[in-house]
Amino acid sequence: MTISRRRLLTGSTATAAAGLLSACGSNTGRGGSGSSGGPALSHWYHQYGEPGTEQAVRRYAKAYDKADVTVQWRPGDYDRQTAAALLTESGPDVFEANGPNLDQIRGKQVLDLTELIEDVKDDYNPAVLTPKTHEGRVYGIPQVIDMQLLYYRKSLLADAKVDPPRTLDELVDAAAKLTTRDVKGLFLGNDAGVGALGGTPLQAAGLELVTDDGEVGFDDPIAARTLGKIHQLYADKSLLLGAPSDWSDPAAFLQGLTAMQWSGLWALPAVQKELGDDFGVLPFPKDGAGSPSVPVGAYGAAVSARARDKDAAKAYVKWLWVQQTAYQEDFALSYGFHIPARISLAKKAEKLKKGAAADAVRFATESGFPAQPLLWTPRNQTVYQDGLSRIIKDGADPDKELKSVVRKVRAELERVAK
Amino acid sequence: MTARTEATARTAATARSKVAAHTRELPARRHRALWFWVFVGPFALGLGVFTYIPLLWSVYLSFFDAHNTVTPDPARDFVGFGNYADMLADGAFTDSLLTFVVFSLFIVPTTFGLSLALALMVNRLRRAQAFFRSVFFLPAACSYVVAALIWKMSIFNGVRFGLANTLLGYVDADSVAWLSTTDPPWYWLAIVTVRLWLQAGFFMILFLAGLQRINPQLYEAAAVDGAKPGWQVFRHITFPQLRATSVAVALLLVINAFQAFDEFYNLLADSRGYPPYARPPLVYLYYTALGQGQNLGMGSAGAVILAVIIAVVTIGQARWFGLGRREA
Amino acid sequence: MHGNPHGVRNPHGVRADASVRVGRALRLALLIALAALFLIPFYLLVRNGLASEQEITSPDWSFLPAELRWSNVTELFSDPSVPFSRSLLNSALIAVATTLGTLLLASLAGYGLARIPYRHANKVFYAILGTLMVPAAVTFVPSFVLVSTLGWVSTLRGLIVPTLFSAFACFVFRQYFLGFPRELEDAARVDGLGYWRTYWRIVVPNTRPVFAAVGTIVFIGAWNSFLWPLVIGQDQGAWTVQVALSSYTNAQVVRLHELFVAAAVSIVPLLVAFLVFQRWIVAGVERTGISE
Repeated sequence: MTISRRRLLTGSTATAAAGLLSACGSNTGRGGSGSSGGPALSHWYHQYGEPGTEQAVRRYAKAYDKADVTVQWRPGDYDRQTAAALLTESGPDVFEANGPNLDQIRGKQVLDLTELIEDVKDDYNPAVLTPKTHEGRVYGIPQVIDMQLLYYRKSLLADAKVDPPRTLDELVDAAAKLTTRDVKGLFLGNDAGVGALGGTPLQAAGLELVTDDGEVGFDDPIAARTLGKIHQLYADKSLLLGAPSDWSDPAAFLQGLTAMQWSGLWALPAVQKELGDDFGVLPFPKDGAGSPSVPVGAYGAAVSARARDKDAAKAYVKWLWVQQTAYQEDFALSYGFHIPARISLAKKAEKLKKGAAADAVRFATESGFPAQPLLWTPRNQTVYQDGLSRIIKDGADPDKELKSVVRKVRAELERVAK
Repeated sequence: MTARTEATARTAATARSKVAAHTRELPARRHRALWFWVFVGPFALGLGVFTYIPLLWSVYLSFFDAHNTVTPDPARDFVGFGNYADMLADGAFTDSLLTFVVFSLFIVPTTFGLSLALALMVNRLRRAQAFFRSVFFLPAACSYVVAALIWKMSIFNGVRFGLANTLLGYVDADSVAWLSTTDPPWYWLAIVTVRLWLQAGFFMILFLAGLQRINPQLYEAAAVDGAKPGWQVFRHITFPQLRATSVAVALLLVINAFQAFDEFYNLLADSRGYPPYARPPLVYLYYTALGQGQNLGMGSAGAVILAVIIAVVTIGQARWFGLGRREA
Repeated sequence: MHGNPHGVRNPHGVRADASVRVGRALRLALLIALAALFLIPFYLLVRNGLASEQEITSPDWSFLPAELRWSNVTELFSDPSVPFSRSLLNSALIAVATTLGTLLLASLAGYGLARIPYRHANKVFYAILGTLMVPAAVTFVPSFVLVSTLGWVSTLRGLIVPTLFSAFACFVFRQYFLGFPRELEDAARVDGLGYWRTYWRIVVPNTRPVFAAVGTIVFIGAWNSFLWPLVIGQDQGAWTVQVALSSYTNAQVVRLHELFVAAAVSIVPLLVAFLVFQRWIVAGVERTGISE
């Protein structure tokens, strides 16, 4: 390194270029300290926002003595980075994934991990284990349960004489009443809820994105009616749009830009710290004959099929995400709130037994649904989100828009059924 | 080829000296070819490896059903022109092409006009010319990442502490969610201004260089002929004299517009995807091919379609401006 | 500066003179207004970068924060989770190496294409030019697979080498050398210098401005490039400054002051280089094929 740097800075063009081609290839990547011995493994995480998370996962990795694990903390568009990296030998051995998705499984890019959790399979919450299971085989070990829910500011609702909304119609009304010149009624994300809500309104209306047997779950006039109400929120100008940080960050809610915000359970500690008791949480309110719903999802630990030492990688995943319950608990609860993916751990978690956290856990148990079913491929998501955006923002006719979405989703479902 | 047959014919005809010349010529030609490749070879080799191989690979992939793989099974996954047909039938892709056309029809003349105007004004300054030139040129040093950050987070954020909304507040108007509103499509304001800010200074420099090459005697002659300073002089002298520069700038602007990706992506994408509006082809292809559902076959087919369009437009434009003629 | 064409004295006297003066004043006012507009983003970088989070998000706009918090800068460099100074160093290394490498390769190729007679020179030239029309993003995945097959992921080699072959730079050099007076080279020929020595002894020393102009453009591009370093520089030790910057905008929590101060620091090296080299760039552009 030193040599190449000196050459680069002082040499004439010719020697510098020669030095560059030969000398500066020093590998700054994997390898690492070699302190713990055993094969080298690289483990990728997406960048978590909660302080301390990175240090924690590095600590876990260091504690493992059968392999030399290097943690890579990836900023930016994580899903796209892993997707590209899985095509090559230089990708991760072990990685967390908001999946793995169906095409990754069908393309044999990830390993079958069923045997790792065979003994304790029933201890994993089915809401997050099912989307990681394809034809009875498990391809990702759920790390924690992430859930989304609606935060509201008690004092602002009281001032406006508004009750916490129990139905979608009440939500539309409440948001309108809470909207003033400086404070908006509701924040669903800068895209007006297209990305964050996904299938949530459908679920709340008694429908779903895709049925268990692989059919379109929202080919129904009710879907158009429900999604039309989200457009109503937008048309009433009750929605906060264009905040510097998006729905997953409670900043807009804490800065007083909105009276209600759709966000995640992970934000709870920050909200609690800032607002004390002046907030409450709700599930997404029901519409018509449906029931309240909260989307739940999970990052899962997966093993790349191109891992150099597959057995070592699997053994490490089993150690961390199956056996080390203390670490799993620490990871779920010490840095922002998540519900442990293991039912036994979730029951023990003291932090989730009181106040808003207890409410949230109850919602997840009673009204949780998988936000990202395995059959809901990225293609389906794009098509659906495009349609949803046009319905909400452009005021496009929901019936017509949904017809075209249903047609495209059906074609994609047929493709993956092959 | 012809040179050699001619030489052979002539040798056969007579003249010993010419035989000698001929035998000298061949090694000389070989010598030049050798030197040509010494100079061009390393570059050509690198371009071959790092541009042509990926390019041909993409073309190859475009004929296959290649989900999550770059090495599809030649027998099982071959789909012929299926991906091309699907792509052209895909409303989202054709929409993105339309978006791009609208965007370039606007941004190319606007950037051209602004940078020319800046150059004309700066060129006529007697004092502080370097200062103004620097001010307009400095943004060219900023990355799209940085510029998009300033635009998205500070100028055009949708809340009351954004700069644009603060100004609206002074005149008692409501806040506008600039990047999230589709009616009216305010997001274009952010997209267009960020590109203008980043690019105008660079093209201004090109125009300034062109202006300074114009022979001052032309202006003196025009003044003697009674041409009014201002529009007449600009129309009959300055602009025609800038023709070469203008052609180059127009070409570069069109190529740049076709490659537009960074500001769109950095301004409008979020963690869950990209909205269906203001989505140029590269952004759409990025999501198709590099998204989680890596549909590399479709993505590559779209890329080939786009590259063909770019080639046709660029070559057409170059021909129209008569650029190819001088080259040939 | 030969210009100033419209300042030419008008024989019709006083009235025209007055209108010229008014015109000049208007023009100056317009320029000042435009300059202010162009400076606003820089102002925002400094204002937000040196403010506290509360001040940035306060509904009452303040022209400057009550107290300039230079500690934001030191915090940036001491943040253990983002190796910011390492990323600056990486960016500098990559940008310098890319610039030198590109200048060498592209100028040699440009000279060969412009000056060495060869039957297929035109075909080679069009093959090079053609790549300008192919958007880099579309060959991205195969490029990535190729580079990782070579084992270059997370190496400086992988970050630098594939970006060294700029068709644009080669095109500019070729155009420029075409317009370079042949007499100098002919003289060198008479002295018995071959192509190689003519190039290094005569051509390069006499064409410094074009090297400066192309070098600056390449340097900016290398410093600002984002997508390639993000995917190739997988290890934190191989992050560039743009990648580090993007890590402040992750989906979950955005710290605005940190983001802005990082952005401000990331452009400082370029601004300095720009101000220093500006005259060269202008001189180079003036004589290059870019606007020929």
